[in-house]
Amino acid sequence: MNSDNRYNRQIILPEIGVEGQQKLSKAKVLVIGAGGLGAAILPYLASAGIGKIGIVDDDDVEVSNLHRQVIYKTSAVGKLKAEEAKLMISELNPEIEVDAFSEKLSGKNALSLFEKYDSIVDATDNISIKYLINDACLATNKPMVYGSIFRFQGQVSVFNYQNGPTYRCLYPDENSNALNCEDAGVIGISVGIIGMLQANEVLKMILGIGEVLSGKILVYNILNNEQQKYDFEKSDFQLISRELFEEKYNKTEVEEISFESVLDEINKDEVLFLDVRNEDETPKISLKNQIQIPLMQLENEIEKLDKNQTIYVFCQSGIRSKIAVELLLKHQFKNVKSIFGGVLAMKQLLEEIKI
Amino acid sequence: MIEVKYFGAVAEKTKCEFEKLSFSEELSLQKLLQDLDEKYAFESMIFSVAVNQKIVSKTKEYQLQTSDIVALLPPFAGG
Repeated sequence: MNSDNRYNRQIILPEIGVEGQQKLSKAKVLVIGAGGLGAAILPYLASAGIGKIGIVDDDDVEVSNLHRQVIYKTSAVGKLKAEEAKLMISELNPEIEVDAFSEKLSGKNALSLFEKYDSIVDATDNISIKYLINDACLATNKPMVYGSIFRFQGQVSVFNYQNGPTYRCLYPDENSNALNCEDAGVIGISVGIIGMLQANEVLKMILGIGEVLSGKILVYNILNNEQQKYDFEKSDFQLISRELFEEKYNKTEVEEISFESVLDEINKDEVLFLDVRNEDETPKISLKNQIQIPLMQLENEIEKLDKNQTIYVFCQSGIRSKIAVELLLKHQFKNVKSIFGGVLAMKQLLEEIKI
Repeated sequence: MIEVKYFGAVAEKTKCEFEKLSFSEELSLQKLLQDLDEKYAFESMIFSVAVNQKIVSKTKEYQLQTSDIVALLPPFAGG
């Protein structure tokens, strides 16, 4: 099969040409969500010859999806959407590379996934993941092609395009309770139209033609065919660096426990009590399995500890021990907890029960 | 007269997609939003506000002019 033949009718468009087709074949686009929007976007990106397409979705195809997610056959019910979508678009165009990621997008995988692509398409159906995509796009400096539906209305925009405004500039308040399709109802045509507009933005960005919907949100109503564009500006305080992203999404949770709840473990050999106070601090505590490493020296002396051991960390009042637990978790310690209230709380309890 | 347009879940609350409002004295954007909130009880509903096709801060000091078009745009979540 000759590639030029496959794309001939778009190559003869003066805005595309052979050069434009080469741009498409070199482009790498990641589509998050293979639902209603994704089902419209994916086949058009594939058939246009986008060189590399990634699909992220951890859902299975359900019967109630079929009326709008038109790339799935009835026989695909129960199968993974990302894999099924990959199968479909690879048959549509075997000349392109397609990767299926049957996993949920999270703070853990977003940055490494986004880095492999040039543009990110948001075809998801809940608000919190849109903030995650937005923030990961900012951290990796990728444009985000946004699309979303409410019943017979849809929104389309392109965020973070050449440092342009972001989703947070448009909707700074993250605590939104907007309804998704499952709760609000949807027909296939509305997701189809909005998905198609998103695919159109992707192609325009790659080809460098027309006007990208950057700093503009398009609102479409399929019942009266009214379409409006609203301008919005960049708010500088919405910048998100890699460090901020990690801090926001991958913060290790420090677990605190009361000394009382671990009293029956103080004589167990497999449990270690780690005192992170300095050596001159009083009152002293002496438990059976106890070791003292002041917080300042903990990182240097971390080899003294076993990563798989249960470790209860304490200090004078329970503040330094939390920092110590955070440090240990960063070094892949499995089971470390901070004793709430520190020695002050422990001493009181030890005196009460006279150990 | 000013025109107010409603979208998405906001339009479900107001039960109309637009309405024209007349005002005699000066009316600020903040006062209009406050009045609408009293009338429709938007409660915790989140939306951005546009005046004449441009998104503005809800707390912007702005006196509405006759023929201004205000739009209330909530985020959508479906896909």
